[in-house]
Amino acid sequence: MIYTPNRQLQQNKQSKISQLADKTVFTFFILIVAIYVIFLALPLVSIFLEFDLTQISLHLQTPEVIDAIKLSLYTSLIATCVSIFLAVPTGYFLATRKFYGKAIIDTLFDLPLVLPPAVAGIALLYTFAPRGLLGPLFNSLGITISGYTIAVVIAETFVASPFLIRAVKIGFENQNRTLHDSAKILTGSRLRVFFTISLPLAMRAIISGTVMTWARAMGEFGATLMFAGNLPRITQTMPLAIYNMLYTDTASGLMLAIILISISFAVIIIVKLLEQKRYGEHK
Amino acid sequence: MIKIESLSKAFGEKSVITNLNLEIPKNNVTVLLGPNGSGKTTLLNMISGLLPPDRGRIYINNHLVNGDKKGTKTVNVKPFERKIGYVFQSVSLFPHMKIYDNIAYGLKSLHLSKAEIKTRTINMLEFVDLTDFAQTYPNQLSGGQQQRAAIARSLVTEPQLLLLDEPISAVDPQHIETFRLDLKKYLQTLKITTLYVTHNLNEAFMMADNIAILGNGHIEQTGNPTEIFNTPKSTFVANFLGFNIFKAKAVKEQNGYLIVKVKNIPLLAMLDLNLTEKNIILTIKPEDLTISTEKQTNHKSNNNLLGTITEIEQTLSTTQFTIDVGFPIKAKTTTTATKNLGVTIGDRVYVSFSSEVLNVFLEK
Repeated sequence: MIYTPNRQLQQNKQSKISQLADKTVFTFFILIVAIYVIFLALPLVSIFLEFDLTQISLHLQTPEVIDAIKLSLYTSLIATCVSIFLAVPTGYFLATRKFYGKAIIDTLFDLPLVLPPAVAGIALLYTFAPRGLLGPLFNSLGITISGYTIAVVIAETFVASPFLIRAVKIGFENQNRTLHDSAKILTGSRLRVFFTISLPLAMRAIISGTVMTWARAMGEFGATLMFAGNLPRITQTMPLAIYNMLYTDTASGLMLAIILISISFAVIIIVKLLEQKRYGEHK
Repeated sequence: MIKIESLSKAFGEKSVITNLNLEIPKNNVTVLLGPNGSGKTTLLNMISGLLPPDRGRIYINNHLVNGDKKGTKTVNVKPFERKIGYVFQSVSLFPHMKIYDNIAYGLKSLHLSKAEIKTRTINMLEFVDLTDFAQTYPNQLSGGQQQRAAIARSLVTEPQLLLLDEPISAVDPQHIETFRLDLKKYLQTLKITTLYVTHNLNEAFMMADNIAILGNGHIEQTGNPTEIFNTPKSTFVANFLGFNIFKAKAVKEQNGYLIVKVKNIPLLAMLDLNLTEKNIILTIKPEDLTISTEKQTNHKSNNNLLGTITEIEQTLSTTQFTIDVGFPIKAKTTTTATKNLGVTIGDRVYVSFSSEVLNVFLEK
C-alpha cells in the first residue's frame, strides 16, 4: 500500500468516525445497564427509605408479626426437611440410573419451577380439599387438610422441593467417573463408595439446593393463599401477613419485607461462597 | 501371571478388541504399547473388571476372573476382589480427602487393625516421598506429586497386579524427567507384576522388561525391548516404530546372502532359503543407516546406495534425511553428525547399511 498524505488523511478521518461509533455504542450499553440496575435496586431501597429502622423493636412486638414469623419459620423448616427426605434420594436416582420414561419424570419435576403458584394452589385444592380427588380418603380418616397449617407445608414443599431435586441431580451427575472407578477397585462396598465418595462430592450442591429451597418456601405466597388460606396463626405466613397489613399496619408489613429481603441476600451469599470454595482452603 | 485368552470387546458396531491373547509374566513390567485409540485403556478396564468383555477369558494368577467356567455361568469377578492396583490416566485422587486419607482408603477395606493401617500408610507416604504432604488436599499438589500419591494409593494394598494407564500424561512437563526416574525406581524396588500402558516409545523402552504391541485390536508382537525395537515382525509394528518399509521380491542366493529387489534395485539380506522367489516386506530402522559423501569401504556395510537428499527434518538432537535412491528412504543421525557431514538438500550421498539390520518377512 502506498501512503499518500491524502490517503492518510482519509484514514485518520475514518478511524475518528469508528472511534466515535465505538464510544456511542459503549455509552448506550452503560445506559442500559444503569437503567436495569436502578430498576432492580430501587424497589428494595424504597422499602428501607419508607421504614423507620429505629422502630424495629416496637414492630417486633406486634402479635400478628410474631405469629407470622413463627409460622413461616416452622412451616418452611418442615417443608425443607420433607424436601431433603424426598429430593436427595430421588435426585441421586435420576442422576445415576437410566430407565424408561425418565425424561417424562424429569419434566414433571421441573414443572413446579415454572408453574404459576396460583395454579399450584388450585391444583392442590382439587387434590386435598374435602371435595377433591383424595378428599373422600382424608374424610374417612377424619383429617382435614386445607385451611390448616399442614396445607402450608404441603404448598411450600410442592413449590420449593423441585429446586432441591435439580441441585441434587446436578451434584451427582457432574461427578468424575474415574473417581468412582478408583473407589470400586479399592473397596467392595457400594454403600461405602456412596457415603465416602458420591455423597461428600455432592454435598455442596445439596447444601446450596437446600438453602434455595428453604428461601423459596419462606417466600411462598400464591399456592399457600389458594390452598391453605390466610388465617392468622394457622396459615398466615410472612408473605401473607405483608399482604394483609398493606392497608392496616404498613410499617409492620415493611418490617417483614425487610426480614425476607435479608434472608434472600444471605441465601445468595451462601450459595456463591459454596460455589467458590475449594477443598483445603480456609483451614 | 496374567493370562488373557481370545478376548473381544465391541462398542456398538465398532470392534475395539478382537480375539486378543496375552501373557503377562510375574514380577515383571510389561509395557502395552500402541497408538492412540488402539484400545489400550479398554483392555485395562477389562482386566480390572470395570468393563465386562464380550467374549474371552482372563486369569489372574491362575484364577479365572472373566469367562465361562465349565458347567457354570459366566464369571465376572468384581474389581475389588481382583486385588489389583489401577493408576488412571487422569489423576483420580479423591479431591475431598487429604493425601493421607486417600492412601489409607483401600486399606480400610482389608480388615486390618488401626495400627497396621497407620503404619502402612506412613511407610507408603515415605516411599513416594510425600510425608510432608500427608495433611494436604490433592489440589494443593503438583501433577507429579498427585500422580505419586495415586500410585501410593494403588500400591499400599499390595495388589497382585498393578495397572498403569499413561501414568506420565498427568505430570507437568518440567517434572516429567524426575517423575519417570521415580516411577522406574518404584517398579524396580517392588518387583510387582505390572501392565504399563503408553504410546510413547522412549517411555516404553525405559520402563519395560517386556513389550506387547497392541494394534488392530490384537497383540501384534511381544518381546523384550531390544527385540521389539530392532526387529518388527509386521508392517503395523514397523510403521508404529517409524521404520522404513519396502515391498520387495526375494530373488536368489548369492555368496551366502539373499538378493532382494526393491523397485529393481538389488540389496543384500541375510540368507533365508524359504523366501526365494517370494514377495516380501523389508523394514529398516532409520538410525541403522549411515550417510556419507564417499563410498563406504567397511565390509560390514555391504549395502551401498547412491542417492539425492530430498528432505531434511531437524529436531534438537536428531536429523532425519529423506534420500531418493531410486525409492525414498529415511535415515536418522545425531545433529552433531549432520553438522560434520555438511550436506544439504539436492546433494548426492551414499546410504550404507549391513545385511544384519535389514529385516525381512513374508508379505501377508
